Amino acid sequence: MNDLGFYLVQALTGLSSASALFLVASGLSIIFGVTRVVNFAHGSFYMLGAYIAYTFVERLGGALGFWAAVLLAGVAVGAIGVVVELLILRRVYQAPELFQLVATFGVILVIQDLALLTWGAEDLFGPAAPGLEGTVNILGTRLPEYDLALIALSLVVLGALTLLFHRTRWGTLVRAATEDREMVGALGVNQSWLFTGTFFLGSMLAGLGGAAQLPKGGADLLMDFNILAAVFVVVVVGGMGSIPGAFLAAVLISELGAFGILVIPQSTLVLMFVVMAVVLIFRPWGLLGRPEAPGQHGQVGPPEPPLRPPGPRLRAAGLLLLAVLLALPAFADDFTLVLAVEIAIMALFAASLHFAMGPGGMVSFGHAAFFGGGAYAAALLVKYAGSPMEVALLFAPAMAGVLALLFGWFCVRLTGVYLAMLTLAFAQVGWSIVFQWGEVTGGDDGILGIWPSEWASNRLAFYYLSMLASAGGILALQYVLHSPFGYAMRACRDSVVRSASIGIDVRRQQWFAFAFSGALAGLAGGLFVFSKGSVFPDEMSIPRSFDALIMVLLGGVKTVLGPLAGAVTFTWLQDEIGRLEYWRFVLGALIIAIVVAFPQGIAGFLRARLGPWFGVREMEA
Amino acid sequence: MRLEVRGLHSYYGRAHILADVSLEATAGEVVALLGRNGAGKSTTLKSIIGLVRPAGGTVEVDGTPISGEPPHRICRRGLGYVPEERRVFASLTVGGNLEVGRQPPRPGLTPWTPARLFELFPNLAGMGGRAAGQMSGGEQQMLTIARTLMGNPALVLLDEPSEGLAPVIVDQMVQVIRSLKREGLAIVLSEQNVNFAMKVADRAYIIEKGRIRHECTIDALMADEAMRRTYLTV
Ligand SMILES: Nc1ncnc2c1ncn2[C@@H]1O[C@H](COP(=O)(O)OP(=O)(O)OP(=O)(O)O)[C@@H](O)[C@H]1O
Ligand SMILES: [Mg+2]
Repeated sequence: MNDLGFYLVQALTGLSSASALFLVASGLSIIFGVTRVVNFAHGSFYMLGAYIAYTFVERLGGALGFWAAVLLAGVAVGAIGVVVELLILRRVYQAPELFQLVATFGVILVIQDLALLTWGAEDLFGPAAPGLEGTVNILGTRLPEYDLALIALSLVVLGALTLLFHRTRWGTLVRAATEDREMVGALGVNQSWLFTGTFFLGSMLAGLGGAAQLPKGGADLLMDFNILAAVFVVVVVGGMGSIPGAFLAAVLISELGAFGILVIPQSTLVLMFVVMAVVLIFRPWGLLGRPEAPGQHGQVGPPEPPLRPPGPRLRAAGLLLLAVLLALPAFADDFTLVLAVEIAIMALFAASLHFAMGPGGMVSFGHAAFFGGGAYAAALLVKYAGSPMEVALLFAPAMAGVLALLFGWFCVRLTGVYLAMLTLAFAQVGWSIVFQWGEVTGGDDGILGIWPSEWASNRLAFYYLSMLASAGGILALQYVLHSPFGYAMRACRDSVVRSASIGIDVRRQQWFAFAFSGALAGLAGGLFVFSKGSVFPDEMSIPRSFDALIMVLLGGVKTVLGPLAGAVTFTWLQDEIGRLEYWRFVLGALIIAIVVAFPQGIAGFLRARLGPWFGVREMEA
Repeated sequence: MRLEVRGLHSYYGRAHILADVSLEATAGEVVALLGRNGAGKSTTLKSIIGLVRPAGGTVEVDGTPISGEPPHRICRRGLGYVPEERRVFASLTVGGNLEVGRQPPRPGLTPWTPARLFELFPNLAGMGGRAAGQMSGGEQQMLTIARTLMGNPALVLLDEPSEGLAPVIVDQMVQVIRSLKREGLAIVLSEQNVNFAMKVADRAYIIEKGRIRHECTIDALMADEAMRRTYLTV
């Protein structure tokens, strides 16, 4: 075997796997550029592209039929993207960015169940592309012909997009809108159609990416989340809004994957993050991106009113709630107590996320990393060191805090959606590690048999323990919020420049705030393990991160009580819906409906009605 | 084209910025909206073009009410808006910026083309391929006006076009406004610089704290020094 040929083939393999990444990432980038929506459902569009192409290939057959199927799948997914834009996103463009994200997450859930319903749970093996089943010999090493076709496809798409954006009026309008869409509107351009058009193009690219990789990877129901994290990394590294940047980053990361595997197998993830670290340190806005003006994105709506210490009536309501919780075991059955424990844990998890994203101004899409991190830390300590619950419950927040320090170091270098995308990517890495490292974490089977200590093992004792710990955690968050640390943190959110000028080390402030928030999410995770007796990779997954996001948003980002209201509503809802066969569909549809109906969140909605009575006033302008 | 604004009220959040603003402008007329920093000039123009949604009052174009419509509709009715901050598309070329502004010709007006605009703004000629972000402030000011003209407006809302410009460029700006007036356009000009306004405007409205305090011809304003001292920076 010829060494040169081997390396050449390895490089070409990398290039071919870059093609799907590039198509999906460029679509995401285009949509974000114009609409400012990070379309989480983009991974779902990719998945749909693969499934739809599968069906079309079966119907059409032949070499011409294959490529027609790929193109048709792209167009079909583009049309689905337009439907999503028209029916859902168009109604929430005025709402804070995060509501749009949660709406697109609802779309993910709906699409997952629709795909399950249509194509079944079995993975589908992709058909070979007719005429390209063979391999070519490159200096003695064989490369599948289809890999070359994928490389050609990505180059063609890159060329076509470049022409589209630089040679057509539509492309010029899109580039202008990416800079200043309001001004484009004032110059007579109907933004609605521009938005719909970019949604079509972006979704079509994702669908095309999914369809084109069909012969290599087939179609399965995990494709959506699997590609999402990698795509986010590509976009962050390449620079949001830059198509050549997306191409460059996709190639860079895929090549690293292709060669990294030779040097240290299973190191691809680590290598990917080394690259990302290097890029973020030297070019925080990505290789070919443009620096973001501070405060441009990631703003959660209009400027926030200053937080006020709770008024007397609110305190009274809090005390009343506490009294009810203390007395609950006297008149509730076991089932209700279990649900109450779960709500309390989720409330702490949501409150920790709220701390980071509301007053901290750092939206985390990957908070499950810390929840799951705490859960696994506790479970592993019990399993391998046989330590008692009390120690494990202290170990959980400590380790989650350390993890948050590690991830946070990168994240606080970014702002807004970039930061959020990075947190998601990190969480997905965490998930892959616990999922794949079966010898230690049990992989998909999780870790079982993690029970509370003797004294806390009856329902009542554990109920009081988890109430105490959750309430303690939430109060600690509150306490910090109204301490000098909390003031400094909010100052950094509101104005980086001014905070720095009064001597606050902004990054360090945000870094510690992020870590504190992560530690408390870890405490929630630790409690969770002992309440269930087990832990699974799901606790670190994207849907778990979204549970917290949805709870915070249901409650309203701007209200401190919000996470509580959100946790109650959401946990109860999930409990009700979870028994249905197609619960994802129902939950997704419900999330979408809620976002469209209450863009201020439920607590925000209530606050507008009841707030004045509780002495929660908005600041007069 | 006749623009009539009556009893306009606008808010930013809860801050009541415009209270009962009324003004008019007709074809071939240059109307100046004069006032100090923060008086509400920009807000008035933004409320007319629809970037700020007025909470009360009416805006009519030739008798048709337009307030509440989205900016692109208002623009297509023949209103052009030139923002104070210029807001050129920095990564687009001069040609690209003009293309974004292009709208169909308007009956009764000679359509604008890049070639015609380069005659009006000689500084821009030969710069068609330059990225707008790499132009000087004065050139960007020319470009933002040219871009709006590509929409073939019958009325132009010009927000402080002389701000921060070198005297030579200010003189050019005077020429530009005069020739637009000759073309039969109506112009609403927001200004702090009374000397500039006096060179081009026919009539003036004086705005202070979001209210129109005075309305007069420009000649009357020139004669009334006390008025200028009270409301304007001289
Ligand atoms: N986006 C905004 N949010 C809140 N208040 C605003 C906003 N823009 C302007 N204001 C306030 O509205 C008032 C009027 O502002 P406006 O920009 O209309 O004044 P102006 O007359 O154009 O001033 P200048 O000569 O400085 O351009 C000012 O008090 C200003 O502080
Ligand atoms: Mg102004």
